[in-house]
Amino acid sequence: MSTNNPDNAMNRLYRTRWFMPAFCVLLAGVMFAAFAIGGDIGSGAVSAGMLLLVGALFYFGGRRSETLAGLAGPGRDERWERIDIHATALSGGFLILVIIGAWLVEIAQGKDGSPYAQLGAVGGVAYILAVALLRWRS
Amino acid sequence: MAVSRQTINSIEKERYTPSLPLAIALARYFGTYVEEMFHVDEQPG
Repeated sequence: MSTNNPDNAMNRLYRTRWFMPAFCVLLAGVMFAAFAIGGDIGSGAVSAGMLLLVGALFYFGGRRSETLAGLAGPGRDERWERIDIHATALSGGFLILVIIGAWLVEIAQGKDGSPYAQLGAVGGVAYILAVALLRWRS
Repeated sequence: MAVSRQTINSIEKERYTPSLPLAIALARYFGTYVEEMFHVDEQPG
């Protein structure tokens, strides 16, 4: 009988205390670079600073809060993985609803529905591909 | 046991159903059988 293997290398990396703060630092750097290339260094500094604060919150707050520890990585176990899957599905479903709603508003205003039509199509194709892949693997 | 204290608490309060590997690990930890620790409500009919 095979069982799931929650102790693989990716999970071990993801569950270290520094992973999410390091990811926030990396993302802050990329965001700052993108703003700088666009000529808006001030907004880049503010955005990067906010992301660095989030990283610090994950690092220091994870010791006191189960929610922060789970979001950051170290507090994750199989129950958290299930919570993560459900939360991802819920937020993805919500996002699709918002995109469809925005697309309908755009259409009703006589516009072509961009970019919501394309975003909805990408979401729908991604969902179908994910279902096919997961069914093939199961 | 590779789960948090909060997860054990959720299992005790029957808010979370553990995976089969975790259920077996818990049963082994307490020196009993899975069916002694966990039960399934029978469906009528």
